[in-house]
Amino acid sequence: MEDIKAYIESGILELYVLGDVSPAEKLQVEEMASKHPAIKAELDDIERSMELYAGENAIEPTEHMRDRILNSLVVNLADDANFPTKKSHVKDNVVTLTPPKQNNFYKYAFAACLALLIASVVVIVSISNKLNDANTQLLALNSTNQHFTSTVKYMDHQLSIYRDPSVKFIKLNPTVHAPKTASITVAFNSEKKEVMLDMANVKMPKTDKTHQYQLWAIVDKKPVSLGVFDKTDADSIEMKEMGSVASPQAFAVTLEPRGGSINPTMDEMMVIGNY
Amino acid sequence: MSEEELVSALKNREKIAVEALYDMYSSSLYGVISRIIIDTATAEDVLQETFVKIWHSFSSYSTDKGRLFTWMVNIARHLAIDKLRSKDFKNQNKNQELENNVTFIDEQRNTVYKPELLGIKDLVQTLKPEQKLILELVYFKGYTHVEAADELGIPLGTIKTRLRMAILQLRKHFN
Repeated sequence: MEDIKAYIESGILELYVLGDVSPAEKLQVEEMASKHPAIKAELDDIERSMELYAGENAIEPTEHMRDRILNSLVVNLADDANFPTKKSHVKDNVVTLTPPKQNNFYKYAFAACLALLIASVVVIVSISNKLNDANTQLLALNSTNQHFTSTVKYMDHQLSIYRDPSVKFIKLNPTVHAPKTASITVAFNSEKKEVMLDMANVKMPKTDKTHQYQLWAIVDKKPVSLGVFDKTDADSIEMKEMGSVASPQAFAVTLEPRGGSINPTMDEMMVIGNY
Repeated sequence: MSEEELVSALKNREKIAVEALYDMYSSSLYGVISRIIIDTATAEDVLQETFVKIWHSFSSYSTDKGRLFTWMVNIARHLAIDKLRSKDFKNQNKNQELENNVTFIDEQRNTVYKPELLGIKDLVQTLKPEQKLILELVYFKGYTHVEAADELGIPLGTIKTRLRMAILQLRKHFN
């Protein structure tokens, strides 16, 4: 008992209650208290008095601390239980959530865009087809136009021949070797020394594959070749330009082997005309 | 609610117990904390930390080891002293404006004395000055008895004796 009394009087129990002991001392005090009721009673008495002492020095925390701390503990409880004093307050804070307005704008906008895209593609394809058609027609028209232009140019050219005062037309008349109806018209431009054959007025028997007509100019009683030509079924209206000659006295046409001859075959002279 | 009922309710994690715990002990704990920490906001933070820690580590409390309040007040004192010695708090204190300190003091004086505690004056007179001083240092200022001995230049044994005498006076007073 003396030991216990000395232990109590050492002041270790007070330090224990104040938390001012080492872990080893703490265990020792707890062991002693469990063994000796007197120590346990002494400890309890010290604790009570310190508790009362603290009570006398109590300071009431401000009112908001109660909510703050209890709420922080509620959070720590990890559930939504409310404290009675807070209930009405919490109720007021509950706001009924209205379901969010369905906003279909983007859905419709997307659909509209898609429809517009499809419509645009259709229109573009159809326009593109029309454009191709138009281009084809334009090309056809262009070629027709070119054809007419060349025809008109050609006609102008022909007309200019007829209008040219320096051009003279010589009709070549048939010889004994040719039919009576045979005739050829030759145009001679004395200024330019050009000879042209009016293919529209070649009234001659048709040539075959081995023969051609050859036009000659008689210059100083000598024949000068002015080129060969055919008489076929195909109608030709052109003024065929032949060779040039300076001062012909006469023009004659002979039937020669295809490609022409150097000297005319006098037996086959078909038509002849003086200048 | 008795202490036994409270302890058992807390062990069962009953929410009602949290309220009872706060209502029964918050002012006593806050009294200790705000003696150690002058700054009201920090003291309130420590009070909250104390309750959170009590709640979380309640399973480590056992009635065999002593009274509930002793266990709780030591949690509060340790948290408060830790806060006081933490680097953040020291830096914070350097930057305190004088005006703010005036407010702290005013707030700290806002002590609520309950009618049953009217005997406090007698109590103060009961304790000898050196007993009050040692109790103040160790209980409220977070000194260990070793530090208090250094501070006061008194042998450890004397410190222990004075502390014991002071508490004996309290016991006598309350009985």
